[in-house]
Amino acid sequence: MNKVIEAIEQAVKAAEERLASAADASVLEAVRIEYLGRNGLFPALSRQMGTIPADERRETGAAFNAGRGKIEAAMDAAAQRLQGGVAESAGIDLSLPGRKLPRGHKHPISQLADECVSIFRRMGFIAVDGPEIEDVRHNFDALNTPQDHPSRDPQDTFYFPDGRILRSQTSPVQIRVMESHQPPIRIVAPGRVFRRDTPDATHGMNFHQIEGLSVDKDVSMADLKSVLQSFAREMFGEKVRIRLRPHFFPFTEPSVEYDFSCVVCGGKGCSVCKNSGWIEIAGAGMVDPAVFANVGYDPEKWTGYAFGMGIERLAMLRYRIPDLRLLYENDVRFLEQF
Amino acid sequence: MNISRKWLSDYVALNCDDAALCEKLTMSGIEVEAVEAGSKVPEGVVAAKILERGKHPDSDHLSVCKVFNGKEELQIVCGAPNCDAGRIVPLATIGTVFCTPEGEFRIKRSKLRGVESFGMMCSASELGIGEDNSGLLILPEDTVPGTPLAALYPGDTKIEVEVTPNRPDWLSMYGIARDVACLLDEEAHLPEIRIPECTIPAPGLVTVEDPDLCPRYIGRIIRNVKIGPSPAWMVERLESIGLRSINNVVDVTNFVMMELGQPLHVFDLDKLEGKRVVARRAKAGESIITLDGKKLDLTSDNLVIADAAKPMALAGIMGGEYSGVSDSTVNVLLESACFKSSNIRTSSRKLGISSDSSYRFERGVDYEMTPVAAMRAAQLILATAGGELASEAVDVAAGREPDAVICCRFDRIRSLIGTQVSNERIVEILKKLHLGVDKITAEKCEVTSRSFRRDVSREADLAEEVARINGLGQIPEVPVSGKCAMSIAEDTYYRLATLRDFAVRLGFCECVHYTIVGTASALTDGRFEAKDLVTLSNPLSADASVLRCSLFGGMMGAVERNVARGNRDLRLFELGKVFCATSGKFPEERYELMLLLSGRRHPELYSAATAENFDFYDLKGAVESLMELCGVSTRRYRMVKLENDRRFRSGRAAALEIDGKRAGALGEIAADLSAKWRNNAPVFTAQIEAAALWNIMGREKIEYKDLAQFPGTTRDVAFIAPESLEHGAITAFIAKCKPANLESVRLFDIFVDDALKKSGRKSMAYTLTFRHRERTLKDAEVNTTMDQLRAKLAAELKVELR
Repeated sequence: MNKVIEAIEQAVKAAEERLASAADASVLEAVRIEYLGRNGLFPALSRQMGTIPADERRETGAAFNAGRGKIEAAMDAAAQRLQGGVAESAGIDLSLPGRKLPRGHKHPISQLADECVSIFRRMGFIAVDGPEIEDVRHNFDALNTPQDHPSRDPQDTFYFPDGRILRSQTSPVQIRVMESHQPPIRIVAPGRVFRRDTPDATHGMNFHQIEGLSVDKDVSMADLKSVLQSFAREMFGEKVRIRLRPHFFPFTEPSVEYDFSCVVCGGKGCSVCKNSGWIEIAGAGMVDPAVFANVGYDPEKWTGYAFGMGIERLAMLRYRIPDLRLLYENDVRFLEQF
Repeated sequence: MNISRKWLSDYVALNCDDAALCEKLTMSGIEVEAVEAGSKVPEGVVAAKILERGKHPDSDHLSVCKVFNGKEELQIVCGAPNCDAGRIVPLATIGTVFCTPEGEFRIKRSKLRGVESFGMMCSASELGIGEDNSGLLILPEDTVPGTPLAALYPGDTKIEVEVTPNRPDWLSMYGIARDVACLLDEEAHLPEIRIPECTIPAPGLVTVEDPDLCPRYIGRIIRNVKIGPSPAWMVERLESIGLRSINNVVDVTNFVMMELGQPLHVFDLDKLEGKRVVARRAKAGESIITLDGKKLDLTSDNLVIADAAKPMALAGIMGGEYSGVSDSTVNVLLESACFKSSNIRTSSRKLGISSDSSYRFERGVDYEMTPVAAMRAAQLILATAGGELASEAVDVAAGREPDAVICCRFDRIRSLIGTQVSNERIVEILKKLHLGVDKITAEKCEVTSRSFRRDVSREADLAEEVARINGLGQIPEVPVSGKCAMSIAEDTYYRLATLRDFAVRLGFCECVHYTIVGTASALTDGRFEAKDLVTLSNPLSADASVLRCSLFGGMMGAVERNVARGNRDLRLFELGKVFCATSGKFPEERYELMLLLSGRRHPELYSAATAENFDFYDLKGAVESLMELCGVSTRRYRMVKLENDRRFRSGRAAALEIDGKRAGALGEIAADLSAKWRNNAPVFTAQIEAAALWNIMGREKIEYKDLAQFPGTTRDVAFIAPESLEHGAITAFIAKCKPANLESVRLFDIFVDDALKKSGRKSMAYTLTFRHRERTLKDAEVNTTMDQLRAKLAAELKVELR
């Protein structure tokens, strides 16, 4: 034991004694200055380190650090004792609730829409917005919807006295973008759409869709399938597969409906997928040449695909929400779950 | 549309089981919605061989048999006369459950007149696979004992499919068979149609006054039919797809419609005045009582089939009650016709009446199938109801549009569907779908559409056929590629999402409400009146008839629902579109942001902190924080007192101005409004025009400022001020005095006790921080500054220094 170590030990003993009997904070400050302050003992000892023989330096350094730590700990203990209360008791009660900060909650519809948009952004799509009060031309005519198609019926679509409507789909945004831009185009249009449905567990007067459109040279159904497959994996996990089934929509040809392998049972069959192993998601297809003609694109030069899906449906699948109306009730016990 | 597997197999050989058939249907676009399977034979019934037949010791009509069920020999007591040794018969083994109209009945080990029996041998009627109950069902000699009877008598399978509107040809068994044949690599064939030749002319039998609405009408007379029940096979076919048998003649019309897709009608010829029919528009004032007993008033938009005097049928939709087939009908006029789809749809919808017939006409029937169906129906009427043909088939046909001729470029097909499929395969698929394929070269071929495929008219339609039949599963997955075609600056969703994120960061919880609301709810936001509302022409109900002009009503509704459920502590926001009909007041469509606070500030805290409720300054602080997040600097916005706004409690509201323009308002909700939502706790809300924030968001430049190097020094000043002297006036006054080296002024206390209150005064205390950029300030110089300031406060602001 060298003289530095000896000095450290003496100092620790003295400091601890003084702190243990300290009656007020001024003692703490005095001890701090005397031992740890700029002109105190420890900095002075530190300067003497150079004089210690090399083989003792390690031991001395360790003693130096330990000593300083002991004094600091004794100061903390004394400070707590002087403040009274908790310090005198056994310690903290970890079962008491922490004072949480308010964190806020984004609505599940917004969360899913955000997630969809960010997945498609990574695939090069830009998100665009469009009006909810639409004209018949953008919502139906330009999308090649036959004049007597049932979706135009006032039974199914909300009309205004001036003949305009509440858009029944996000597809009119496709038309608006194609009218104002030349290809290549790569957009998604998330937004609110309206159907004249009496609200029930799976229907509402309004719901949310996200629509995708890509127009370029040599775009094919393989591109469509791949984008949807990538989306399915990113949204619901690596193992989710997709399946295309032929279908019919006036604005796409060929048209398909697409299914995800059941996100609950993985395709083995359960009540969610009605034992089929597949969950119907929505429709898609190659943009119908008539739609291109309606916006002045040359269907020989450009091809494209479009797809859509319902945000509420994704939210209900993701969180297993049994009733669509819960999403619009805004009970905070519901909102705070997400 | 229901398909019967047995019925379907009349037109195409089904070389696969139910599951495979359904999979193929779904994957080719005929989506299977439900399957009702199979055999009526209960599980547990197997084929068994009778080894020995002996007499029952105690009965004349019972036999005691030794029977082999494929595994073991069993003793069975049997009452049937034909249980001879060597025969193969059905055996219900122990445990088999029969479902009878009387209830469930389980086969048990039992004793019949003292002799044990280990099962029951069955007749066809007991198994529900035939009528015969005279004896055991005798199975073919080569049946292997132990074979389940369900496998031998699979029964029929009912498959319910969804048919898309572009494919009316799938609304019949034969039409489905045509595609199934293509999928199973088989041939579809029509039933054999043969009728006696009859060329008796029937001039004037059919008149078509409006060939546009009725492009083809075939009429034919059959005399001396005998109305009665249909034969069993017909009843079985109809019942297999859920149709009810009515009588032999009516059943034929339904059968042929389901078989070939052509709706038919039969008139009682003797009820037709003039014994003839006219396809014409209804005249004003005409009406008809349909088969289902409804009286319909007609207009010239409705096509009718009339006799010489009045309408006898609503063309293509439903027959009239008067001229329908009844038990006393002897002579009939058989109708097979084409009607214009859009006219049938409009009439059906306007008159509120639809049928299997109108369903098919609305979607379009095959012009070329009309005469085939007429012959088929004549054949079946003669076969099931007797009688004889009494006229030629009078065919009034206006002709049809020619079939589309389409150039099919093989490379184009491949590039659209993104799949490598050979030229030969493309040609094969199109041919198998009964399309005409001609002029095949190495690059292309010429495809002729057909009358039953009006949906095929362009190359893209051919691509769909190839993709569909080749299998969408064959489309490969390729790396996702494509140009990022537009600037991210056009990404409007980004702004919406960011604003939502900001509100969430401030601890608010997002709500989403419906756009369509009632007038009363909309007008609770006192900024609007009825003429500002965007009103629907066809609302679902009176309380959902206008577009929300504001988020106010929806959010207050959320407060009501939550408070009613005991959720009193609310920190909510919504960002959504609102609408205004009055141009100049607001844009027709815009985004609004609404923040709402009510209840306790920190409901999750305990001890002393629990009791504090939100007040106006929490809301103000939230708005200020939001401005900070949006990059709206304090120089660019201000809040000014807002009076006479019906939303807010008087004196407790402010207007928000950004860059001098009104951008929103905030305040405490007026108590009378709150009461409307059955809530009596104070509610604080802010409504902000989202566009006012978007114009600034992300554009505010942030530039680093040096951190102060020298210590600051603080001084407190406290004084009693008149109640009316606002904080802002005090800080403005201090700023105007320009105290040397003043860095900041912070309010740290406002205090009002009873005495101060009585005298209309309050105590206020501020901390002033002084700092110099280049040196440490001396106490003395700060003291001097403070002394001067105190003096000015006392003299000019008239406060009482403490």
